[in-house]
Amino acid sequence: MQQIELMAPAGNFESLQAALDNGADSVYFGVEQLNMRARASINFTLDDLPEISKRCKAKHVRTYLTLNTIIYDHDLSIVKTLVKKAKEADITAVIAMDQAVIACARELGLEVHISTQINITNIETVKFYAMFADTMVLSRELSLRQVKKITEAIEKEQIKGPSGKLVEIEVFGHGALCMAVSGKCYMSLHSQNSSANRGACKQNCRKKYTVIDQETGFEMELDNEYIMSPKDLCTIDILDQVAESGIKVLKIEGRGRAPEYVARVIKCYRNAIDSLENNTYDKEKVVSWMQELEKVYNRGFWNGYYLGQKLGEWSNGSGSHATQKKVYIGKGVHFYTKAKIGEFKIDAYDVSIGDTILVTGPTTGAKEMEVNEMLVNDEKLLTGSKGDTITIPLEFRIRPSDKLYKIVENKVEV
Amino acid sequence: MVVITLQRNKCIGCNYCVELAPNQFQMSKKDGKSVLLHAKDKKGFFTAKSNDDIIFDACDKASKACPVNIISVKNI
Repeated sequence: MQQIELMAPAGNFESLQAALDNGADSVYFGVEQLNMRARASINFTLDDLPEISKRCKAKHVRTYLTLNTIIYDHDLSIVKTLVKKAKEADITAVIAMDQAVIACARELGLEVHISTQINITNIETVKFYAMFADTMVLSRELSLRQVKKITEAIEKEQIKGPSGKLVEIEVFGHGALCMAVSGKCYMSLHSQNSSANRGACKQNCRKKYTVIDQETGFEMELDNEYIMSPKDLCTIDILDQVAESGIKVLKIEGRGRAPEYVARVIKCYRNAIDSLENNTYDKEKVVSWMQELEKVYNRGFWNGYYLGQKLGEWSNGSGSHATQKKVYIGKGVHFYTKAKIGEFKIDAYDVSIGDTILVTGPTTGAKEMEVNEMLVNDEKLLTGSKGDTITIPLEFRIRPSDKLYKIVENKVEV
Repeated sequence: MVVITLQRNKCIGCNYCVELAPNQFQMSKKDGKSVLLHAKDKKGFFTAKSNDDIIFDACDKASKACPVNIISVKNI
């Protein structure tokens, strides 16, 4: 079986580092405008492109710039600037939806990947876009059987992209699914004048809704008021079937998620893909991966439409069902390189021997470990509290810009 | 007097302000973001003042429509 490329989300340098540290083969990210997370405060800037490229190249990780919103006339110049800068920074490819972006990238000699928003659902469309792109994300509503038919036809008919290699098919592997048709949605625009297609989704499908007959006022009895909020996609338990469908790239959602989310999800899927490769993928492992995935943000899991799932897999809450959460404790002060000891200043709560801590930072990424030894204000104590300075032997380097968290159990209200 | 402020760096170029107040806003073809016409820049906050009270309504609509809430309009 051919190795699948694991593609990680990167909303900022913390997440990027977390993806790199946990085994991603490629990362995707947006810069300020014209991507599906344009509203997010945690976007990269154009000036970050060389640093992203440098960090990823050092680990032989491919880099994809998302440029996948709808494009207006006034955007055309910025499209050109973004593509040009991406090319200069040696970014691997742009992920595009609009034909203007595809044309621009091709003109400047940059590889193009077709975004899910184009809604490719058949082999003829694959053939059409093969004139411009080497990798294509299929529409989210396809079943694995349909995906397989497409990948087999690519092989049989030798459908090649501009690079001369066979077209690669990419699918979503894990993360949020929404009501929209493969990422195109007018709900936010209608209700809050905020177009999801410009990267300004307000996620109002995630709220509670009731259904009322306007003539009689009769309110339908609903077991679950979150009638438009699907659970999150998870394919780790069917990854063998996903791989058999002939896909080449597995994309993980979550550019708006915290770095520890990226770290944990990428780590699980890395293990799962590697297990498939060396024939050690089994049910026992799936159970442990699922437990790991449930610890971070999720709305409950389902397999999407891949197995021809019946409808009704709705989330039953507005927020996360994660079994763990992080609590801010303090910040990094110093790292003693020779002794490999990190010094932190505690700003809130306390931290004790036996606690699991999480350190995040733009260069550190997201590192988690259990505290086995600790000095509190140079004394051997079991607990450090607000105002204290603690030193902990660490397996990784920390920086003064890093934040220290404690991982605690999250009581989920359902 | 009407005072309009645009926090330009957060603009996502959605174009609504131009649709609702075309005499006060224009989209820049240079960077795809909104430009508040005749405005002065103070650390990324672009402010324009006008004695023409008629523009208030249009700018107020633009302010309410802005998905990233970066336009403020005051009638003082």
